[in-house]
Amino acid sequence: MAARPGRSVLSLQGVALADRQFSAHTARLDLELPRGEVALVQVEDEHDAAMLVDLCLGLADPGAGEVRFLGVDWTTRTPRERFHRRRRIGAVVQTDVWPSHMTVLESVLVARAYHFNQPQAEVIADATELARLFGLPGLPVGRRETTPVRALVRAACVRGFLGSPDLIVVQDQVLDQSSELAVPMAQAISAACDRGATVLWITASLATQAAQFVQPNHAFRLGDHGLVRVRRSR
Amino acid sequence: MIARAQRYDPRPWPRRVLAAIGAFTISGTSRLLLFMAFATTVAFVALRREAWRGPVWAQFKRVLNQVAVRSLPTTVVTGMLVGFALVTQAVYWLAQTGTTGLVGPVIVILLIRELVPILVGLIVFGRSGTATLIELGEAQSKGWLRLLEIQGLDPLALLVLPRAVAFAVGSFCLATVLLCSTMLTSYFLAYGLELIAYSIWDFADAVLRAMKIQDFIVPPLKCIVIGYMVALTCCSTGLGRRDESDELQRLVPRGFVRSALAIMLVNTLFDLVA
Repeated sequence: MAARPGRSVLSLQGVALADRQFSAHTARLDLELPRGEVALVQVEDEHDAAMLVDLCLGLADPGAGEVRFLGVDWTTRTPRERFHRRRRIGAVVQTDVWPSHMTVLESVLVARAYHFNQPQAEVIADATELARLFGLPGLPVGRRETTPVRALVRAACVRGFLGSPDLIVVQDQVLDQSSELAVPMAQAISAACDRGATVLWITASLATQAAQFVQPNHAFRLGDHGLVRVRRSR
Repeated sequence: MIARAQRYDPRPWPRRVLAAIGAFTISGTSRLLLFMAFATTVAFVALRREAWRGPVWAQFKRVLNQVAVRSLPTTVVTGMLVGFALVTQAVYWLAQTGTTGLVGPVIVILLIRELVPILVGLIVFGRSGTATLIELGEAQSKGWLRLLEIQGLDPLALLVLPRAVAFAVGSFCLATVLLCSTMLTSYFLAYGLELIAYSIWDFADAVLRAMKIQDFIVPPLKCIVIGYMVALTCCSTGLGRRDESDELQRLVPRGFVRSALAIMLVNTLFDLVA
């Protein structure tokens, strides 16, 4: 099911972001992300950033307002349907988190193998190509404990960009601080947008080197009362 | 030191006691109903063909290897020890009273119907259930459960389903191995000690003759259900751990108590029904 042209891939209308750690105010979020566009959102508090990710991905329901992904309100879907719809979303989040019962390779490929009937050799070839883009010689095959942190961060990027997701959500403070990944990340985002994907990068600061190389169509900052459009200085 | 102010309850003590009993009963019943709903859901999902996708199969094979293959030495040794106990107690006393002809019914009632399913349940819990408890106990606190949900992977399908089915199948396999090793050990030991004088074929014949049709159906079914329930108990206890404040060391004893209760409950229910 492809999104109709002109319809937003991700839409937040009057969404209330409550229970914030460092603000007594409930922020009201309005955001429209059409196909093929990139949005950078500066959210200083990691807890707020994780809540925003949960709202966008239908993991949490907003107290007020609605979040639509490909035109469908998450709250109108059953938990099973939500799982199924999330197959069209790639996420570069929690780069230090890996399931303990899987190798890094299995963990990178698991979502693709679960949702699609693509031959494994093809998936591995795609993943290896992405791994090379992010500066890895190939995909790490060991367990999390035996894999260097730098390789894990890159493997997490491969995990998020693998396949042809309609929406890619990026949110990780490790990634914000990694200047080495700035150029490959910008290249991967640009390639994804050319393919028609929409990218939402939630960063701790718009001034981080990682975000500097990205050319966003929209840039926002999460203030006390909601998203404020900003002009990014370079 | 922090002094905590206790909430004042104006009700007289009999009403407070009754309220506490009522609250305990309601919470226990709701947990039991929730667990039954969980077990039924997993059983229904297991019957759906589309639930068995590639990664679910991979997990199933991994867990089945852990349950059925890696537990083999433990099971064989346990079977030999039980066989030894069977000879020193049951067969010895039957020989002393001159009723070695009852060896078949004794083995059927004692071993096949009661001992093997319970022992298999305990072996499966000890060898694989504890690993599952610790593995899934970290899912929530280490954040990878959220990661799976973000990727659209249903934890019920990817984590619980393969474990439940692998534990059930593995329990059946282990029960067969345990029974064979126990019976062989007890026969050779009793024969060596000259407590019995008949051949192994006559021994097998005596056991088979003592078995009824339901003994070929109920004990295997009991083992399968026990394995299934141990898996679900471990999965629900592990995934129920919310954060680091609930210590991992407390998870294993909690899982053991719940699994032991589940094993005994299933055993009793089968005894009552069959």
